[in-house]
Order: sequence, then C-alpha cells, then structure tokens
Amino acid sequence: MIRARTLTDARQQSHSNAELNWWIFMRISGLILVFLILGHIYMTFIQVSESDATFDAVVAKLQNPAWKFYDWLILLLAMLHGVNGARYSIEDYVRSRPNRAWVKGIFYTVCAVIFLLGTVGLFSI
Amino acid sequence: MLEPSVKGRDFASTRQPAALHTQEHNKRRRKSKRQEEEEGMYRGREGQWAFLLHRLSGLAILAYLLLHVISISLFMFGERAYMAVHRTYDLAVFRIGLILIVAGVVYHAFNGLRIIVMDFTGRGVAYQRQMWYAVLAITVVSVLYTASMVVPRILGGY
Repeated sequence: MIRARTLTDARQQSHSNAELNWWIFMRISGLILVFLILGHIYMTFIQVSESDATFDAVVAKLQNPAWKFYDWLILLLAMLHGVNGARYSIEDYVRSRPNRAWVKGIFYTVCAVIFLLGTVGLFSI
Repeated sequence: MLEPSVKGRDFASTRQPAALHTQEHNKRRRKSKRQEEEEGMYRGREGQWAFLLHRLSGLAILAYLLLHVISISLFMFGERAYMAVHRTYDLAVFRIGLILIVAGVVYHAFNGLRIIVMDFTGRGVAYQRQMWYAVLAITVVSVLYTASMVVPRILGGY
C-alpha cells in the first residue's frame, strides 16, 4: 500500500509500475463512482420506494441499453475499486505470507465469480 | 510507540518491589504494550479517524455490493426466485440497513474526494481537518434527507 500525500511521493514509494497504476486508478475510478453511485442511489432508493423494485420494474428498466451500460460500468469500476481496496486491507492485516496467499486467492475467486454473475445477468435480458 | 518520557513515568509510578514475580512482570509488560498500541491509535487525531472510517465504510460497501449483485442476478431465474428474496427487502430492518449503506457511501465518496484534493494540491493537506468535518457534515445531512424520504414509507407501509 502506498502511503503518499502527493503524486510525487506515490511515484517514489511505489515498488512497481503496477502499484502506482493502482494508486492512480483508485483516484480516477473513485471520482467517476461518486457520480455514478450517488446517482444510482438517488434514482433507485431515495426517489422511489424499495417496494417499487419489482421484477417487472427491473426488467423494464434494463431493456434500455443506456441503463445496462450505466449499471455495468458501476459493476466494473466498483468491483475493481473495492477488490483493490480490500487487497490493501488484507496486505495490512494478514501478516503471514502463506495465509495472505490463501485469503487473497479465495477472495479474488469469489469476487470474479460474482462479477461474472452480474455481467451475465445484465446482458442476458 | 510511547515517548521515552511517558515510558519513564509509567515505570516510576508503579513502585515495584525489587524482586517482582516473573508472571506479574510479564502481565505488566503486556499491559503496557497494549496501552502503547491504543495511544498510537489516537496519535493521528482526525486524520486517523478519517482513515479508519474510510477503510471500514469501504469494506462494508464492498460486502453490500457483492450481496446486491448476487440478489439482483436472481432475476435470471425468473420472477419467483427474484421475489422470494426481494420480498424480505421491503421489511423495515432492511430499509433502515439501506439508510446505513447510504451513510457509508456518502462518507466514502466525500472523504475520497478529500483524499484526492490532498493528493493533488498542496493546500489540501493544510486544510484536511476542516475538510473532514465538512465530509462528516455532508454525511449527516444526506442521512437525514434519506431518512426523511424513506422513514415515512416504512411507517406508511408502501
């Protein structure tokens, strides 16, 4: 994990280009997700009642390819942002190398399966 | 880590007998180590709390996201499978849970913006404390607004 206060610090502290690229990705994806997810919450939870999220309503909304893309973009960015954030936590708290490998392996697999499930679901309508 | 002066005061104040029992000695050492960790924990003041809340809210949102994707995906298996799960989401407990998710998301979103400002501007670091209180204020206001929209629905049963 990079503990930097500026982009220059981050560049010096990163051990690899990959780590620096993740550091930058977290900022860019975070900025995009602020708008996508606050919009999603406003439209699907605050504006309408939870009991309006019926089967028909979800299917009707996802007929529109724009919403399909909107939801898939959230799924993609939130998954990468969330999994990388959890990776920072795992690397901070799981100190033994073999345990870390197991925890990461299982965690990445579960997240990949759920990402595929969501993607297949979105584009199967 | 404790400051040397604090460490000195700790040992001076506990007037130990010359031959302290080993077990007792170890217990004291363990305790002082725990105190050390706790004091280290609060050293960062607001910044440390901002970090801790950011991490906890992030992990909570990820857990919610995974469950949300799984349960929404159930529509692939037809209306019965979808409604079997989503009927329970109408319950008050789940709707209040969603208000808490909104709290976590708003905090994480605006604290994330605070982090971006700190990372890419020099002035951001100077004002990080004030920005954190602004983040908390935005979170509280958003939760109150969300609750004002959702709670009447819970009470009205629609």
